[in-house]
Parts: sequence; structure tokens; C-alpha cells
Amino acid sequence: MDPMTPTVPGTTPEPAVEIDDLGIRYDLRLTKRTTLKGSLAGMLRRDRTRDNHFWAIRHLTFSLAHGESLAIIGPNGAGKSTLLLALAGILEPTEGEILTHGRVSTLLTLGAGFELELTGRDNIDLAGAFLGIDRKQMDDLAPSIVEFADIGKFIDAPVKTYSTGMRARLGFSIATAITPDILLLDEVLGTGDQTFRARSQARVRELVGKAKAIVLVTHDLSFVSEFCNRAILLEKGMIIAEGEPGAIVDLYSQRAIQQKLLAEEDAQRFAKVPTSSLTF
Amino acid sequence: MTAPTTKTIATARPRARRGNAVGLVRIGIGDILGHRRLTRFLVGAELKRTHANTAFGQLWWIIDPLLQMAVYFLLFEIMLRQRIEDYPLFLFVAILPWKWFSTTLNQTTLSITGRQSLIRQVQFPKLVLPTAAVLAGTVSFVFGLVALGLVYFFFLDRLSPWVLCLPLIAAVQLVFTLALGTMFAAINTFFRDVQNVMSHALRLWFYLSGALIPLDTLASTHPTLYSILSLNPFAVLFNAYRSVTYGMGPPNWLALLLLLGISVVLLVVAIYGFKRAEPAFARIL
Repeated sequence: MDPMTPTVPGTTPEPAVEIDDLGIRYDLRLTKRTTLKGSLAGMLRRDRTRDNHFWAIRHLTFSLAHGESLAIIGPNGAGKSTLLLALAGILEPTEGEILTHGRVSTLLTLGAGFELELTGRDNIDLAGAFLGIDRKQMDDLAPSIVEFADIGKFIDAPVKTYSTGMRARLGFSIATAITPDILLLDEVLGTGDQTFRARSQARVRELVGKAKAIVLVTHDLSFVSEFCNRAILLEKGMIIAEGEPGAIVDLYSQRAIQQKLLAEEDAQRFAKVPTSSLTF
Repeated sequence: MTAPTTKTIATARPRARRGNAVGLVRIGIGDILGHRRLTRFLVGAELKRTHANTAFGQLWWIIDPLLQMAVYFLLFEIMLRQRIEDYPLFLFVAILPWKWFSTTLNQTTLSITGRQSLIRQVQFPKLVLPTAAVLAGTVSFVFGLVALGLVYFFFLDRLSPWVLCLPLIAAVQLVFTLALGTMFAAINTFFRDVQNVMSHALRLWFYLSGALIPLDTLASTHPTLYSILSLNPFAVLFNAYRSVTYGMGPPNWLALLLLLGISVVLLVVAIYGFKRAEPAFARIL
């Protein structure tokens, strides 16, 4: 289970990520009713026969070779974030298997895990402990994290005194301090003000250059064509198309336009229905 | 261990681990023991957080039990004319461990649900969260022992070498608290009712364990009730604490040992249940 294990040399081309028939299911009974009464009521009503499960992604099979950079695009609710969470090891597969060769980056992007009462410096140590980085390596990394976050004297003040931008900068700085073999990116490019955004984009580009494989989830389609050499279009948890980024982005835009038209038609149909018929 | 294959070299994430119970418990114990640095940081953070917004900070662990003792003393000794010798000391050796238990159990129960965003962003063994919460409470308790020293100052004739057994009794309580806390932390993730019922259940438990009046007074009038209540873990713990600090004699070693055994079994069951539930945390939070 050591995330730092080296990849096997020799065999060509070595896959960085292998996903085989992956499925992740959410149990709606548990997510919706968070009290005992709710679930008891559910049991009494015997709605166990009803399907209370939701497959966020299912029957997903693809692999990613070293040197590849994969974009995952798709509408909201397509399962993009679920897939990324599974790749990061945060969600376990309900079905199928994920194999990752090498260190996978974390999704800790905006400092959601910060302890507000601790100083920025302590939070850097805490994050290191959470990520399983040993003390020595963390001590080596700390100065560059502090420098990149650019929050000056505040680094020794409790994080609760930070502005939103400062928190985001520190979070981003920690998350990108370690160069992973497999880089997972989830819309991290819109962090902070203009100057920091430019610097963070430069940092991401640097990581992209160093990483052995990249999986990117984004709505910024220009970024897809700039950085990725492959793309997957995901809809309702299934792969709709896979291939050249340019072609996939085009396909996605077309489908988005179609769906928008359909939605507008629906809206018009509803608008024509006389209000009296809507009363119960 | 197993012969090296491509799969052991890579990080494989097979579908939900259905390992055998022993394996799962062993992994759980490894989770706790293998992440001592993380646990230490979390304990530090917890201590800073709980005392951040008060002027007296950690001192409240001394002041609060003393105030509680004063309230009960006023109520029972002065208003209800309950006659128990050296009543403040009698009360205090129950109030202080109880404060440790109740605050720790509350914090531990919330230790998973209170860190939703973290659990959805980083992969780490969640068992460190209840463990850190219990240990943070323990640090506070040790600090709170200063208050016991203060109370003793007025009842010096009750002091005996038996008081040195106090850490042993506290160790039994620690195992018991860790077991219960780990269990509740996992259950509360699925049913938030646990945190709501907790404060009421705890208050009842406190009274039924003979914290304010000795359970022995029931022995002659209600023998059955007495035997049932004596089985309760906190009746055993309170008796033990009182023997060494107030009664100047050895605690009931047999009862303590039995409670330790039960606590260890509970802890193993709790770790097993927690590990079974762990993969679901990120999905339902």
C-alpha cells in the first residue's frame, strides 16, 4: 500500500492508471435520511423493493499510459467528480477495479481541511501528516510552500484570521507542493485574484510537465485542448465518446447545444399549458 | 508476505474490502499505531480548538469540576441535608472522571461528522479521528487532576498511598471510552440521532452510577436494583476511584479486571464495525 512504490521498468508502454468495469453506487437511503426515524419509517413502508441506489458511474473501462494527459468532460452530474474521488482513493469502487501505478495527487485544493485555530505553519505540518509525508520531507517542503502562498507574517497567525484568498492560496500551495506521478486536477485554476491565478496556472503547467500522467476535470474547454492529448466525454456515468481532445470538445459542445434546445422546447411547452390545469 | 506480482507493486483498489474480521481488526490497529504523528497533530489541534475562545482556556478543566462540586454540595449537603462524610471529596472523585468521560464521548461521537470536507478530500485512515479525540480529552483530564490536588488540600487525612493506583483505574476508563467513542463515531455518521440522545443518556447514566450518593444506600431497601446498578461500568469505576482517593483502601481488583476485559472486547468489536463502515463515510457525508 506504499504510495511511493516505483513503477515497473521495462515493459512498454507502462499504464499509469487501469480502470476495469468501475462502478460506484450511492445509497440514497443513507444519504437522504440521516436520522434513525427516517430509516425506520423507510423500513416500515417496505420501500426496500424500490430502487434506492444510484450509480454515479458504471461499467467504466479505460486505461491511461505514462505520458498521457486525459481530460474528462461532461455535463453536471455526469460522474466526473465521483471518478476523480475514486482515482484519489477517497471513494472505494462498488464494482470493478482501479489500479494506479505511482503516487496519486490529492484533491486537497482549497484548504477545506484546515484547522482554524492552528497557525498556517502548523496547518502545513498537519496536511503533511494527513498526506502521509514524512517529517523530514515536510520540513524540506515547508519554506517553498510558505513562499508560494505569499501570505507574509500571517503564516504564524491562526488560519481563522486569514481572508478567503489567503486560505485558498495556502491550500493550493500545499496541494501542489508534492510532485505526484499521477496528477488529478479538478477545476483548480480559478483560485484567487488575477496575479495569483497567473502564478497558479504556471505552477499547474510545471506539475503537468513533471507528472507521468494527468487526469483533468474541467469546464474550461480551452484548457482541455491546450494540455490534454486525450479526452473522454462522460454522461450519466457512462463513457459516450473517447479520443482526440478537439473532436471530443466539439462533440460535447454540439450535445450541449442540442440539450439546451430540448430544454427550451420543454420550457415553452410548459409555458403554454394553462395554469388552471396545473392545480390539483 | 505474498509473492510480488504486478498487483502488489501497484496500488490496487479492489471492490469494497470484505476481509475477514481478524484481518480487518488488525488493519484497524495498524491504522491507529501507524499514524502516531498525525494523531499527535490532531490532539494538539483539538486542544487548541476547545480552549481557543475562552479567557481561562485550559484552566476551565480545573474551574469547571470545582464549580460542579460546589453546586452538588449546596444541593445535597445544605439543602437536602444529606450527611456524607467529607462530601466535597466524595463528589469530586466522581465528577472529574465523569467530565473526562462525557466531554470525550461527545467530542468523539462528532469526530467523523465534523470533518466532512476533509474526508471528501484526503484519503487517510479515519480511525485516527476518534482516537485523537479520546486522547485530547485524556490530556485535559490529566491537567484537571490539579483540581483534585486542590480539593485534597482540605482533606489531607484522606490521602493514602493507594492514590497512586489512580492511573490504573484511569487506564481502564480510557479503554472503555475509546471503545464506546469509536462505535458512536461510526454510528453517528449514519444516524445523527446519536448526538442528540447523548446528553440525556449521559446525565441519567451519571446519576444511576452513584455519583452523588453511594449506591450502597440502596442495598438494603432495593436489593435487585442495587445489583443491577452495580454492574454498570461507571459504578465499578466510581467505586474504584473512591476506594483509592476517599476510602483509603485497594479498589475491587476483580471488578476492574472484568471491566477491562469487557472494554477490550468492546474495543475490538468497535474497531471491526468502524472498519466495515469506513468505506461508506466518504459516500454518505
